Amino acid sequence: MSEMAVLARGVYGVWLREIMRATRDRGQLIGGVSRPLIWLLILGVGLNPYFRGEVYGQVNYVIPFTYLQFLFPAVIVLNIMYTSIQFAVSVIWDREFGFLREVLVSPLPRSLILLGKVLGGATVATMHGVLVLLLARFADVNMSVQQIVTAIGLMFVLSFGLTSFGILLAARVRSFEGFGVFSNTLILPLYFTSSSVFPLDPSLSRTQAVMSYPEWLVFLVRANPITYAVDALRGVLINFNQLPPHIGLAVIAGMCVVFFVAALVDFNRS
Amino acid sequence: MLPFVRRLSKPELMTHLISARDLRASYGAKVALNGVSFDIEEGTSFALLGPNGAGKTTLINILCTLQRPDSGGIVIAGHDALRYPRRARRNIGVVFQTSSVDDRLTARENLEFHGLVHGLPRRKREARIRQVLELVALEEWEDDVVRSFSGGMRRRLEIARALMHEPKILFLDEPTVGLDAQTRQQIWYYLDRLRREWSLTVLTTTHYIEEVEDADVVCIIDHGSIIAQGSPAGLKKQHGRRWHQIDTIDRAVRQLILERFAGAQPLGVSSVVVPEESFDARALKSPEFEGKILEIRQREPTLESVFLSLTGRELRDRADPGRIGNGRGGERR
Repeated sequence: MSEMAVLARGVYGVWLREIMRATRDRGQLIGGVSRPLIWLLILGVGLNPYFRGEVYGQVNYVIPFTYLQFLFPAVIVLNIMYTSIQFAVSVIWDREFGFLREVLVSPLPRSLILLGKVLGGATVATMHGVLVLLLARFADVNMSVQQIVTAIGLMFVLSFGLTSFGILLAARVRSFEGFGVFSNTLILPLYFTSSSVFPLDPSLSRTQAVMSYPEWLVFLVRANPITYAVDALRGVLINFNQLPPHIGLAVIAGMCVVFFVAALVDFNRS
Repeated sequence: MLPFVRRLSKPELMTHLISARDLRASYGAKVALNGVSFDIEEGTSFALLGPNGAGKTTLINILCTLQRPDSGGIVIAGHDALRYPRRARRNIGVVFQTSSVDDRLTARENLEFHGLVHGLPRRKREARIRQVLELVALEEWEDDVVRSFSGGMRRRLEIARALMHEPKILFLDEPTVGLDAQTRQQIWYYLDRLRREWSLTVLTTTHYIEEVEDADVVCIIDHGSIIAQGSPAGLKKQHGRRWHQIDTIDRAVRQLILERFAGAQPLGVSSVVVPEESFDARALKSPEFEGKILEIRQREPTLESVFLSLTGRELRDRADPGRIGNGRGGERR
C-alpha cells in the first residue's frame, strides 16, 4: 500500500462526501435549476427585443447576437458563483457541528483535506453550470462537442477559484446567517458589474467608453475579475469576446492559484 | 517547532504506549493544564476523572494532536506526537464529546468515509465496516441516514467509526454525557466488550464517578493538575476512608455512639457511621449497648470519598445520585 494511494483515497473520500451531500440536498438542486430559468426566461426573453444598440434611431454599437445568446454564458457564471460561494456554508457547517475534527484527527494532511473539499465544491458548481448548458438550444446557442468540452473545463477552473474564495470568506464569517448576507451582497454586485447583462463596446477606448457609461461603472467592470470569466466563456460558447481572449483564461487561472493558496494558509492556521 | 517542546529520549519512546510529559496549556491568563505527566501501558483502560472545567477535554485534544500544548512532550505508540502528528494519528481512534458524525449520510457512508480518509483499501473497508457495525449492533441500520438515529445510536456509531482503522488506542471524551441511564449502561457494555475482545488500550474521560470503577488506572485531575493516580482499589486504600455503619434501635443509642466515637456521623433515623480509625468493636460489646444494636456493617471506601478527601469537594454532576448515596455509601451528607 503505497503512501500516494493512501493519500489519494483520502482526497477522494473528502470529495465523495461533498458530492453525496450535494446530490441529496434538494434545495440546492432546485436553486440550481430555477435560477437560470428565471434569468433566461424572464430577463432574457423580456429584454431580447430591445437588444439592438439603437438609441432613438441612432445606432451606436451593434453586436451580432440576440440578448438571450449574449446573456447565456453570463447565467452559467452566475449559477457557478452562487453554488461555489455558498458551498462554503458546508465548511461552516462542518466546523459548527464538529465533523471537521473527525477529519483533522485523521492522518490526511490539512492541505489535502482542503484540496478534497475544494475539488468537491468545484465539481458541484460545475454541475450546476452544466445544468444551464442544457438550456442552450432554448437560448439559441449551438455548440460543437469541442466547444462544450472547453466550456466545461473553463467552468471547472472558475468553480475551483470561486470555491476557494468562498472558503476564504467562510473562515472570516462564523455564522450561517452572516454568511448568507455576505454572499448576497457580494455575488449580485460582482455579477452585475461583470458586463453580464449589458455589453461594453470592445472597439471603444476607455475614454470613449466613459462617454457612454459613467466612469465608476467602467472602472468597476474592468476591475472585476468575473468580467474576464464571463468574457472567456462567451468566447468559447458564442465566439464573442469583448476583451483579448487570453486574458480571460489567465485571470481565471490566477484566481484559482491565489485564492487556493490563501485558503490553504488560512486553513493551516485555524 | 515550538522552542519549549522537549525532545524525547529513546527509552521514553519505547516503554509505554502513551507517555505524556509535563504538558502545559493555557487560554490567555487561564491555565488549563499545569504540568501533566502520565504513562499508559498497552492494553489497559485509563480513566481521567475530574469535574467539568478540570482540563480533561484540553488534555484529550492535545493527546489526539488537535491542539498543541504550550510545552511538554507526548509519545504515542513510539512516535513523538508533537513532531510527527500524522504518524501518531494512525494509531489513535477518537470519540469526541459532542457528536461528529455527518447526519446527512448513512451509517455505512460515515464509516466508508472514515475508511477512505484513513486510506484503507476497498476490501479492507468492507470487512471492517461489517466488523465494527456488528460490534455495536447497528447492522440493521447500516443504510439509514444518521439524522434518524437516537443519541445512543449515534454514540455507538462514533465508537464503531473510531475503530475502523484498527487503532491501538481509543480516546473517549465523555462518551456517555447527555445520555440516559439505560443508554449509558449500554455504551459501557460495548466498551467493555471491546476491551475484552479486541484488547484495546482505552483512555476515557468522565465526570461520572461510578463509570471509572472498572478501569485499570484512574487518574484524578483537577484545576489542570493530576492529584492522584492508581488503580481504583489502590486509590481507595490510599485516600479513601473505611466506615462502619451501625444500625441501632433508637435515637438515644445513636446519640450515645455519636458521643463515644470521634468523627462519627448520623445516618438516617437511627443509624450512625463511624470511621475506621475510631471504630472499636469491643466498646460496642459493653453492657450499655446490649440488645440495642441491630447490625454492624462495613462500608468499603468509594472513589467518591477518595475524590472528596483529595479535593475537599464533591463532583458536582453525578450520573445517578440516588445509587451512590444509598447503594454504595461512603459519602455522608
